[in-house]
Amino acid sequence: MNYSLYLHIPFCVRRCAYCDFNTYAGQEALIPDYVEALRREIEAVARAAPGRLTVHTIFFGGGTPSLLSPRHFERILTALQSHFSILPEAEISLEANPGTVTLASLRDLRALGFNRISYGVQSFHPEELRQLERIHNPLDVFDAVRWARRAGFENLNLDLIYGLPEQSLDRWTATLRWALSFAPEHLSLYALTIESGAPFGRWTARGLLPLPDPDLAAEMYTQAGERLGVNGYEQYEISNWARPGFQCRHNLQYWRNRPYLGFGAGAHGYAGKMRVANALRIRSYIERCKSPASLPFPLSPASVHKRVISRRVEMQETMMTGLRLTREGVSAREFARRFGVQVTDVFGAEIEKLLGLGLLEWAQEKDDRILRLTPSARLLGNQVFLHFVD
Amino acid sequence: MNNIRNFCIIAHVDHGKSTLADRLLHLTGTVPERDTTEQILDSMDLEREKGVTIKASAVRMNYTAADGQTYELNLIDTPGHVDFGYEVSRALAACEGAILVVDATQGIEAQTLANLYQALEADLTIVPVINKIDLVTARPDEVAEDIASLLGVPPESILRVSAKTGENVAAVLEAVVARVPPPKGDAEAPLRALVFDSHYDSYKGVVAYVRVVEGRLAAADDIRMMSTGAAVKPIEVGIFAPMMKPVAALSAGEVGYIATGLKSVRDARVGDTITSAARPAAAPLPGYRHPKPMVFAGIYPAEADDYQDLREALEKLQLNDASLYFEPETSQALGYGFRAGFLGLFHMEIIQERIEREYDLDVVFTAPTVAYEVLLRDGTTRIVDTPADLPDEGEIEEIREPWMTIEIITPTEFYGPIMELATKRRGIFKGPQYPAPHRVQLNFEIPLSEIIVDFFDELKSRTRGYASLDYQFLEYRPDKLQKLEILVNGEPVDALAAIVHTKDAYHKGQRMITKLKELIPRQLFEVAIQASSGGRVISRANVKPLRKDVLAKCYGGDITRKKKLLEKQKRGKKRMKMVGNVEIPQDAFMAVLKLEEE
Ligand SMILES: Nc1nc2c(ncn2[C@@H]2O[C@H](COP(=O)(O)OP(=O)(O)O)[C@@H](O)[C@H]2O)c(=O)[nH]1
Ligand code: SF4
Ligand SMILES: [Mg+2]
Repeated sequence: MNYSLYLHIPFCVRRCAYCDFNTYAGQEALIPDYVEALRREIEAVARAAPGRLTVHTIFFGGGTPSLLSPRHFERILTALQSHFSILPEAEISLEANPGTVTLASLRDLRALGFNRISYGVQSFHPEELRQLERIHNPLDVFDAVRWARRAGFENLNLDLIYGLPEQSLDRWTATLRWALSFAPEHLSLYALTIESGAPFGRWTARGLLPLPDPDLAAEMYTQAGERLGVNGYEQYEISNWARPGFQCRHNLQYWRNRPYLGFGAGAHGYAGKMRVANALRIRSYIERCKSPASLPFPLSPASVHKRVISRRVEMQETMMTGLRLTREGVSAREFARRFGVQVTDVFGAEIEKLLGLGLLEWAQEKDDRILRLTPSARLLGNQVFLHFVD
Repeated sequence: MNNIRNFCIIAHVDHGKSTLADRLLHLTGTVPERDTTEQILDSMDLEREKGVTIKASAVRMNYTAADGQTYELNLIDTPGHVDFGYEVSRALAACEGAILVVDATQGIEAQTLANLYQALEADLTIVPVINKIDLVTARPDEVAEDIASLLGVPPESILRVSAKTGENVAAVLEAVVARVPPPKGDAEAPLRALVFDSHYDSYKGVVAYVRVVEGRLAAADDIRMMSTGAAVKPIEVGIFAPMMKPVAALSAGEVGYIATGLKSVRDARVGDTITSAARPAAAPLPGYRHPKPMVFAGIYPAEADDYQDLREALEKLQLNDASLYFEPETSQALGYGFRAGFLGLFHMEIIQERIEREYDLDVVFTAPTVAYEVLLRDGTTRIVDTPADLPDEGEIEEIREPWMTIEIITPTEFYGPIMELATKRRGIFKGPQYPAPHRVQLNFEIPLSEIIVDFFDELKSRTRGYASLDYQFLEYRPDKLQKLEILVNGEPVDALAAIVHTKDAYHKGQRMITKLKELIPRQLFEVAIQASSGGRVISRANVKPLRKDVLAKCYGGDITRKKKLLEKQKRGKKRMKMVGNVEIPQDAFMAVLKLEEE
């Protein structure tokens, strides 16, 4: 079983107004200690692991990983290499803020082995970027993409957000057209979620900012899907499109409900029938990683939550995550192979009901049957997933 | 018997009845001073919070007066709420005197008068007391004038106290001894004891609170409930001191309790007369009545699994509340539940809060309704307390509804807004009275159905909280009434039906639809909601289908958070009620209670 590794880099120049990720502004002075803490955590977990694990994807997410210098990445990657067997063709991704990269840094990263970059573009409209309180402007994206190509990155993703307050369909279409003009291999389109913990949440609660119109957001989604299809992108997940062969293998690992280890403040891991999560705050993460304690895999000294996943819950989670995959869905054969029972024997009633509501469909794939969302249910995923939680 | 004083304290809500009672208990050493955190007579949290005393109680105090003699003072607490008028009357009947407490900052209010009239009717000696004189806003002189003119006594004879600080409270005890007459009653006559309250005790069964009017009751005597003829072998006879304390016997004039061993307070109803089985009295004491529920509502568990728990909660509440009535009911929309009857809206609120708080149950109360008398074309009459059960229009000759007389006491400046409120609700003005300067009492006749939904709140908000209200049942009267039905995707929702006046049907229907449109969440398909009355649709709206309901991102493999959100969403869904295939949230069933006046 191949593993995936997630490394969380919780530093940002400034907090964006919609963001409630576990990230902190103005803590950059802690970066060197943080990098050391990551090395310790990697070592601690790897040592407790049942043998040397094979790794096929590595993802640096944030936060803003691109705030780390190539030297920091080198130290982290070295630690990873010395404790895991990283496959030669492994996907190694970096999330980057277009305002924080240079041609030189991108060349260094490429040389270190990174082969995929995911840019948080969000919008090409200066006013929208200001509303979101992003630190970059549209021109930064031009440079960031050009430089990435010149540095040798052949796998680029752009993240875009739609359904912003007061965003018109036209503006969204314009953003999408700009994004397509860069011919990225991968596109993630996320509907804005108003998080109560983020400034957007407070502003909308106080009536300072209108709530996005869900029907308009649905329209944006539908039109975007059509446009991307015409341009040769295949949708493979609710929010993700890729040129053939460029699906994000790291994210597929989550959706296929396969094991991954999470390193860093607030990082989540899933391995050995256990879901674990680390301390959120940077300082407590760093402190905890100083402990020499050796804990059972996949726990690390930074872990603050653990939950043992029963077989039943694993089956539920396999449905919940697998049904996000709009083409691949949940394969009846794979499910039976994994759990030794038919998916229809476990979730017969739920599946019948959802088929009846037109939210799920069976697709024939050679000698396998695949359960997946109907096209119109792609934006109604929760109505499906909630049948697979207790 | 000459050294016994039986009295109660009557007051408008919050004028200080409980605080004064506490003071008296401390002053007489019945309860040690350090227990002051609790209001002793108010045994339930809820009462303390709502500021009303729900359950009457009786405490014996021994008091050595200025004349050197020791007196047995029985303080009988009365329920301080309009819905419990009958219970109040029975508690008064057990007394010879009443301390009338009036707040020095508020003056005379609706229940001050209502209680006073009741006390005078019961022939009680009134000891007026002005309370809260410690407050800077106190106007004791003015209030004394008002009370004096009301009672026809010299203003100087009215005591001024602060129950809070204790100032002058001793004078209240002296006045009770001096002014309230001792009980009369022949201790040798056959036993007649008035039940003025009761509670259920899991060991001793129903404990009846009694005033022995005539005769003598020994612990060993077999007794009989005169209304039902039921024979009872008491477990114990005693007094409240203030906890239950057994005694050998109670004699004419005394107040105490009988632990009956009966299983339900309905077997020892307030107002009943207890007599001795060996030597029964010829006739019961006058005034026994069986209070009828006036306000009805459906009570349903928010989650169907809680049905049995809800039944048990209601049964337990009924053990102590003979006026709570309920029976099983099924609603298409809400499933299995109960139809319950209450003495009034406040009684209903109290029950609702107790179910939710003491029994920790999530329940849906449907909008309250009254009992209608429906005269059918075939000459028969039917009582309808569930609007959905109203027969077809074609079968109905006439619908009658209960009317009340209400008295509203208010500072004169709010005359206008109150007139407007009451007349808009079909109130008929019967004229003003001026019980005190700057205060007016407005008397109306008004349908009960018009005051059970947010009338009291409206009254308070229109008068900045100054107006007070009292009401009594008047009679049944016919009017132009019709059913207002709500249909969801073409299906009538029984629990949302209402009986309304013809002139209000259109307007109420529209407001219901507006409110429901807000409350019904978008579903996978379009939902049509309609209000229909008198055979036609008067309002309609559509809830558009849901188009987007998905969490965009599962960040860095954090599935747990996403699951929590889904679990929450699922719990919310589970609590929805199904009408056909439409999910309706619980709030919608209470929507009629929240139709703001525009
Ligand atoms: N300042 C002041 N407050 C009082 C006095 N008597 C009662 N209160 C307050 O008035 C409120 C209502 O008193 P309570 O005894 O519960 O009134 P009840 O509803 O008549 O039983 C409480 O907050 C008491 O603390 C008093 O003499 N002075
Ligand atoms: S850059 Fe990304 S992680 Fe940082 S605050 Fe903005 S949205 Fe959040
Ligand atoms: Mg009280």
